[in-house]
Amino acid sequence: MSDGSRPMIALEAISKTYPGQSAPAVRELDLHVPAGAIVMMVGPSGCGKTTTLKMMNRLIEPTSGRILLDGEDVTAVGGDELRRRIGYVIQQVGLFPHFTVADNVAVVPRVLGWDRKRITARVDELLHLVGLEPGQFRDRYPRQLSGGQQQRVGVARGLAADPAVMLMDEPFGAIDPITRDRLQDEFLEIQRQVAKTICFVTHDLTEAVKLGDRIAVFGPGGVVEQYDTPEQVLTHPANDFVAEFVGSGAAVRRLSLLQLNRLELDEVTVDGVGATNGHPTYRADADGRAVAWAHLPGTGAGDLPPLVTVPLTGTVYDAVDVMLEARAPLVAVVDDEDRPKGALRWEALVRELPTKGRP
Amino acid sequence: MTAPTTTAPPAATGGVAGPPSRLWVTPVIVLVGLGLVFGYLATQTLDSVERRTINVETITTRLGEHLYLTALSTVVVIVLAIPLGIALSRPALRRVQPAVLAISGFLQALPPFGVIILIAFTPLGLGATTAIVALVLASFLPVVTNTVVGLRQVDRAMIEAARGVGMSAAQTLRQVELPLAVPVMVAGVRVALVLNVGTATLATYIGAGGLGTIIDGSLRLGRPTAVLVAASLVAALALIIDWLAGVAEHLVGRRGG
Repeated sequence: MSDGSRPMIALEAISKTYPGQSAPAVRELDLHVPAGAIVMMVGPSGCGKTTTLKMMNRLIEPTSGRILLDGEDVTAVGGDELRRRIGYVIQQVGLFPHFTVADNVAVVPRVLGWDRKRITARVDELLHLVGLEPGQFRDRYPRQLSGGQQQRVGVARGLAADPAVMLMDEPFGAIDPITRDRLQDEFLEIQRQVAKTICFVTHDLTEAVKLGDRIAVFGPGGVVEQYDTPEQVLTHPANDFVAEFVGSGAAVRRLSLLQLNRLELDEVTVDGVGATNGHPTYRADADGRAVAWAHLPGTGAGDLPPLVTVPLTGTVYDAVDVMLEARAPLVAVVDDEDRPKGALRWEALVRELPTKGRP
Repeated sequence: MTAPTTTAPPAATGGVAGPPSRLWVTPVIVLVGLGLVFGYLATQTLDSVERRTINVETITTRLGEHLYLTALSTVVVIVLAIPLGIALSRPALRRVQPAVLAISGFLQALPPFGVIILIAFTPLGLGATTAIVALVLASFLPVVTNTVVGLRQVDRAMIEAARGVGMSAAQTLRQVELPLAVPVMVAGVRVALVLNVGTATLATYIGAGGLGTIIDGSLRLGRPTAVLVAASLVAALALIIDWLAGVAEHLVGRRGG
């Protein structure tokens, strides 16, 4: 987290009062978004999170306050020019139905006056990035795509002019849960490659926890109740409002924050190589991949559970999921080549999970 | 808001004139109908009065006048009503939208026959100009209404997406709003065209010619055969123009979302 550096987006005492309303939708709000971070804006409906997002690119003009983009005061510059510098992704209704996929992605480059060759190259590059084969999808119309594919096109369009900042307004809101989960994973993968500064509105706390480097919890009356890392929001809610919003599922949600590579895992050994030293022992195939448990301390040879694995890049949540699914009291944590690096036992979960320093 | 839209029923179809396989129906009906009329005509012996009306030269002239009145009035309607409809759907003018639509609805409620005669008493006098003004007044509403309705039914979220990615208001109108509204707008123009073909028949009463001249003259002289021929031509013309507009509507409707 680049807390010390200059924020990419800074809102300073920003307020919005809609005409004809006495109470402001957003009140005296300060928010600093660090460069390269994903900031998730969550909260109940009508708490001003979307209004705040739309003030960042001045789709909604603030009543008072200042907006700084990479240190530059953009409160008064031309709105259209500002928006061309900022990516914008919304639910899939935002695709133009009379434009092909390529034309949809090319909207901003075209407005910016890029030449045709450069636009074509950029469109193909972006379609590749979001996992849509250009030759197959370039000339399709949005209605010929699934919801998930439409959303990928939306992300590609937001990235088209390579903006430093992306604003995303519930982009995965209207997508079925399974596709949404996959899109979120792809989104994180894309973000690893493009490293944008992203503000992301969602009403789904699980999504916020999964994607966010930081979470801004909005409360009634358009104020930020807490602005902190997902772990802090879940473990140390700033006040009763946040505690209630985070809800009773916080302990389980926290599991999805903890990556397995940050845990001190139980050691495991390969069967037939030296002493077991009381460690779980597994049988491996020729490539070193785990096949089955050979010996577990305190378990008879006839009661050995199935050997299940979870990747080192997964979270404790994934490990729990795998264990519950297979009814196994432990799970082998494996690297990219499926070689066990350690094991996580069920009993360890209810104790303080031993963590290493950040990798 | 619902009252003005109901005066333009084809707007409801959103611009798809049925599957292409049925596009041949109208021309066939028209050809069969005209065939029957002229077949009947061939069995009749025409007297000198009828021969003076029912000949290629007269019919072509009157048909030409009729088409001229229809085409010019429709072009004027398009040129005036579409920009007005666009202007009315801009945020700045949206407040006067109901008032303008009400006035335009009031104009359309006036019987065209009365309007044509009344305008002839203004300094415009008799002639084609007066007829065109009357036709424009009568067919103004469907085009304004359908332009407004067509633009209004464009998803707000889509417009906001266009603005959100950096399109200016003018670019959004040109590239997003208008293309998505075109099917409904074309439906309005189709209604105007058909209205104008029919109403142009009345232009004869102020000396502006058209196929109405044959009908009116033959009625006065008691020549039902000539009336039949001219009336069939007006009907055929209206059907063909409606068919052509329907084809156009189908083509633009297929492109949009």
